[in-house]
Amino acid sequence: MNRKLLIVLGPVLGLVMFAGAVRVASWTYAKQQPAPAPAAAAQAPAAAATPEADAKKPYVEAEYRAFPVVGSRVAIWAVAQLHLLFAAFVLAVPIFAFIVEAIGYKTGDLRYDKLAYEFTKLLSVSFSLTATFGAFLTFMLIILYPKFTNYLMSVFSPTFLPYVLLFFFEAFFLYTYYYGWGKFHPLVHLGLGLGLNIVGTGIMFIANAWLTFMMSPRGISETGAVLSVKEAIWNYTWMPINVHRVIANVAFGGSVAAAYAAFKFLQAKTDEERAHYDWMGYIGNFVAILAFLPLPFAGYWLAKEIYAFSQTLGLTMMGGAFSWLFIIQAVLIGNLFLAANYYLWLGMGRVEGVQPLQKWIKYLLIGIAICFMVWATPRSIIATVSEVRAMGGSSHPIIGYLGVMSAKNTAVNILILTTFMSFLLYRRTGKVAAVSWAKRGHVAQLVIFAATAIFVIFLGVYGYFVEATVRIGLSVPQVLSVLFAMIAIMTIDIFLFRGARKTGEMRWGRIPAISQYVLIFIAVTFTWLMGLMGYVRSGLRQHYHVYGVLRDQSVDAFTPTLGFATKVVSVTVLLFFLLIGLVFWISSLHDKPDFERKPKTVRPTKEPEAELT
Amino acid sequence: MKIPLILRIGALVVATTGFYTYVGQMVPQKEVQPPKETALGAEMTTAEMVKVGQEIMAGKGICLTCHTIGKTGALRFPDLAGVGEKAKTRVPGLSDVEYLAQTLYEPTAYVVPGFPPAMPPVNQPPIALTDQEILCVIAALQTLGGTPTVTMKTTHHYYDGTPKPGAAPPPAAAPKSIP
Repeated sequence: MNRKLLIVLGPVLGLVMFAGAVRVASWTYAKQQPAPAPAAAAQAPAAAATPEADAKKPYVEAEYRAFPVVGSRVAIWAVAQLHLLFAAFVLAVPIFAFIVEAIGYKTGDLRYDKLAYEFTKLLSVSFSLTATFGAFLTFMLIILYPKFTNYLMSVFSPTFLPYVLLFFFEAFFLYTYYYGWGKFHPLVHLGLGLGLNIVGTGIMFIANAWLTFMMSPRGISETGAVLSVKEAIWNYTWMPINVHRVIANVAFGGSVAAAYAAFKFLQAKTDEERAHYDWMGYIGNFVAILAFLPLPFAGYWLAKEIYAFSQTLGLTMMGGAFSWLFIIQAVLIGNLFLAANYYLWLGMGRVEGVQPLQKWIKYLLIGIAICFMVWATPRSIIATVSEVRAMGGSSHPIIGYLGVMSAKNTAVNILILTTFMSFLLYRRTGKVAAVSWAKRGHVAQLVIFAATAIFVIFLGVYGYFVEATVRIGLSVPQVLSVLFAMIAIMTIDIFLFRGARKTGEMRWGRIPAISQYVLIFIAVTFTWLMGLMGYVRSGLRQHYHVYGVLRDQSVDAFTPTLGFATKVVSVTVLLFFLLIGLVFWISSLHDKPDFERKPKTVRPTKEPEAELT
Repeated sequence: MKIPLILRIGALVVATTGFYTYVGQMVPQKEVQPPKETALGAEMTTAEMVKVGQEIMAGKGICLTCHTIGKTGALRFPDLAGVGEKAKTRVPGLSDVEYLAQTLYEPTAYVVPGFPPAMPPVNQPPIALTDQEILCVIAALQTLGGTPTVTMKTTHHYYDGTPKPGAAPPPAAAPKSIP
């Protein structure tokens, strides 16, 4: 591009952005003026004419202000979601950067150190965007929902200064961790990484207290007066959300980092680059799926605490306005499992001599597909009056039985178990166990797997024949048996493959390009899932800002249709990927060669003699 | 012609979000409005109360979120079919009106065997039905296998005919006031 044009482009863009911001602000201000009531409007011209009337105009505190075009709720929703997505990324990346760096330090393998640094490079810009959206969200809350924000501030005022202080510490740790790479003793650097993780988690815990209080308020009187800030923080859903978010953030961050690696893999020019980014994508995805497997269990705990706080809230979630949302969730999670397994199966091609294991894939696929179908079966279906009459109700006489929790809990547990087995198959590609008890070890693993699957299915079927009080409790042994199986099988596997004989070398980079698109698909699906679950967590309160305490009196107090909610989620996800693309681009500038000024071309000067003549 | 990588990735992101948006449009679409306060006159007939009670059960009271009417099988909460008749003998010493009032104001006082003690008191937030609205719900429940007998003047253990201080807030102040 023309250099003069480039020089002008910067200031012009700056001016356009400034003018745009001023225009939006003035437009917002113009739109938020409430229309005067008819009587007030009739008196307004006369009243406005007298300076005395102006002087005596009473101060009225606004309860709500309107955001133009999309409305206040959608505006807050989008900004909050973007803030949360970036915050999740900024909290997750240091967790696995720290783990990867620690592995590198322990093993002395420099590849891990390089990988951890590459993850960390994405943090700097993301941190700024997180803070920007955080400030944006705060201002939007103050402007659009002043009374509600004021109430939250009055309840949680003791938490704000520690929050700011932790934020300052996070900036300190993050920048010293990033810029100090290779400048300190490795243990000192790891210490900085640990500090970054502790402070980041602390920040999230404080923010979680505010939002969980809105859902399950505690520590206040019937009229909303604060009785105990400690109880307000430690409300029913605070700790389950903390745990759920830590795990989900790791899964999400891993998937986005894997998508970054996939992008770089597809851009790569050399085999060496492809090998590095294939490995990076694998690690990112491994972390994502590893964190994803226990996530449903954390979800159970959260749901249990929601029910413990308020049966009404729990029933609204699972049986009321939001019940169909969980069918959409089933489609998303089913896709995640399918894509994650597909990526693993494609990855098995990196190793020679994998054919004996590949025969199992079709059985795993069948298992996953059946579980997916069961999980996505709705209890009641949309039907015409005559169809409902023919079925004898809104649920199908046969398939309807798969739409209840007994079947769905069973399906999700088997799905987790199957994905775990895919991991196990991938893990042992190119290796043969060399220990003396290898055969017995394999049999033990198979027996544990089969026994767990049978036990889970048995409990699922048993649930149809017992009373509700017994049935609800069956999900606990199902979950525990799957957890036990995963831990037991993995433990055996670690010892089984110690000193294993290699049958083929791992050739990083030798994977079909479609696998990289699968990684990007997984990242988009994770992001969309976070958006959807963020909506249900917040939307559950329905017409309350603080559930059962502070009612939403605004024009947005209704609960929108799921179709509308999914549109908002999609727009937010697209915006996030647009911005994360920007983060990737800015981060990649670091690796670009420095600008080199071309030597000036010397123009031939006219001969002085010629001028004279 | 080779499509640039950035466009291929962009298309994948848009197609994926587009697919999930499409799934979102395929499920039943229901917009849930905040509960409206029902104007209840003291001179309402029992038949009018039944009609209002049925509306409350399906809407503001969210009763039908959990309870079914005329279903059998593996139910999570008791089916309401025939409750008007069962209520007369369910708890010794309690009339049908007293029993139904107890299930609504103090649901865990008596729990139908085999079911969890999961029902919330309907006179408290977030459901927060008024005493008059609860009378209408009792009238509607009595029609399920029985004959409605309550009027707007009916009193019971939880309601002596005058709104109690600290009980369900009046319609205009359903949300608790925040100082």
